[in-house]
Amino acid sequence: MKSMEASKLISFFEEDFCIFHLRSRKKMSVLTEMVHHLALNNRISDEQFIIEMLKNRESLGSTGLGNGVAFPHGRSLAIKELSVLFARSASGVDFDALDGKTTKLFFLILAPSDKGSDTYLAILSELIGLIQKPAKLKSLYEVTDFPSLVKILEEKDQ
Amino acid sequence: MKDEHRLLIALQDLDIMIKEVKDKVTSRELQSLGFKLTGLNELQDARDKLAKKVPRALLQRYEKLTQHYTVAILPVTGSLCLGCFVKLPTSFFSAVSRNELQTCENCGRLLYIP
Ligand SMILES: [Zn+2]
Repeated sequence: MKSMEASKLISFFEEDFCIFHLRSRKKMSVLTEMVHHLALNNRISDEQFIIEMLKNRESLGSTGLGNGVAFPHGRSLAIKELSVLFARSASGVDFDALDGKTTKLFFLILAPSDKGSDTYLAILSELIGLIQKPAKLKSLYEVTDFPSLVKILEEKDQ
Repeated sequence: MKDEHRLLIALQDLDIMIKEVKDKVTSRELQSLGFKLTGLNELQDARDKLAKKVPRALLQRYEKLTQHYTVAILPVTGSLCLGCFVKLPTSFFSAVSRNELQTCENCGRLLYIP
């Protein structure tokens, strides 16, 4: 990934939109906890719509792509602007991942219903590219603060 | 917000998702990223179930609008219709109509005050 793209990708991450110690242990409660966190930070006009949308998205096929990472995503009228939330569970969660393993890292990507669709697919694509690097993935499993998260995402050749 | 308006918003979110999955370019991109999109029938079932709860006349209006627009129902946050960016008349914001779904006179989209 080129450095320009890396900095653009990182600009979508904010300290307020990170949960380094997820409390939830089940698929639906993880989604709820993440959505609630965005609502507390005023990004969502109605949590219920987003939870419903994410639930529907999971019924289309799990967004747990394996290797301990999931990318719940979608568009809703209840999301005010394109938002990315990072969450980490040290113990891992059963998220119906495609490889059957537990999920430790969550990148929630939400876009408004009328715009930002292309951007959210681009973010998804870049993040999925990033986590293909085993060393990066390993560092992410352990990350517990925002500066370290940014550093890991930024580093080119980890 | 009334229940029927909430149902319509949830229905629209679902319709947008279904539209995205049915879009060949988007679905191919998602699949190339590793997502399995095997549950389209489940989504369609959820959509039909939800649509049945919406009052018939309202559903018909909504479905007619979605033939032209991706977003048929949307909130009003300023003085404009965010569907077509035309200024809404002051009568639009009267206390009586606050709880009711209204129609943009210019584009016909359904509007509500959040
Ligand atoms: Zn309009």
